[in-house]
Amino acid sequence: MIVPVGVVLALSAVLFGIGVFGFLARRNLILMLISVEVMLNAVNLSLVGFSHHLADPRGQVLALFVIAVAAAEAGVGLGLVIALYRNRPGARVADLTQLKW
Amino acid sequence: MASLPAQAAFYYMAAASIASALLAVTRKNPVHSMLWVLALFLHVAGIFLLLGAEFLAAVQVIVYAGAILVFYLFVLMLLDLPGEQARPRFAAHWPLAAAGGLGIVAIIWLAQFATHDSTRNGIAPAALPSATESPLLGSLAEVGRALFGPFALPFEMASLVLLAAIVGAVVLARRRVET
Repeated sequence: MIVPVGVVLALSAVLFGIGVFGFLARRNLILMLISVEVMLNAVNLSLVGFSHHLADPRGQVLALFVIAVAAAEAGVGLGLVIALYRNRPGARVADLTQLKW
Repeated sequence: MASLPAQAAFYYMAAASIASALLAVTRKNPVHSMLWVLALFLHVAGIFLLLGAEFLAAVQVIVYAGAILVFYLFVLMLLDLPGEQARPRFAAHWPLAAAGGLGIVAIIWLAQFATHDSTRNGIAPAALPSATESPLLGSLAEVGRALFGPFALPFEMASLVLLAAIVGAVVLARRRVET
């Protein structure tokens, strides 16, 4: 054990919080998506920390699945961004009010 | 019990990843943000390496830094970058967003302290000292055995998810033909 598992989890929590802030505060759609990637990375970090702490490879397997889902999310999310950009230039969420009631 | 250089490396990577994550969400130029996210991913890969997850570190570099980030950069090139830089980078409610992020960190830390068990070094391991019994932990062989043994069905499901995502991305991004 290099460091206590609590340190790894605290780091993961801080990275997750930064991702939450980026997702909520940025106005650019792509930067919002990249903030989601930061959050997914934070979760992977805590999974690997648990895997190391419990000496159990299952945490790493779960982290691999998280990476696979992140790749799928990037594909679909950026496909949506391209489709949106084709209809109207710019990737600002403030302009996307068509579905607003 | 842990070597000092490894600890120093861990704390360096932790500090560097927090700093690059902060820079990534606050830079005005989206391409700079992407490059800071790249720095974040590489440092997290280093932490994986320190925690004994060599395969995951390689996957992190190859898939995250190599494929996903390049994909993001390609799509970023389609956008109007100078116009994007001229606009305010944060929405008007950004203090609320900062409070939300801090709140989440506080909740996670509280949950961690609430479940802290100092007699067993933090979160109690379910099955006790097996760390010495599995020297292969983190190696490709161990992860591969888990992936194709008890996790074979989820593994196949992951390929299905990726297939659905590929088809969905093609359908979404395709240029509409006039009907």
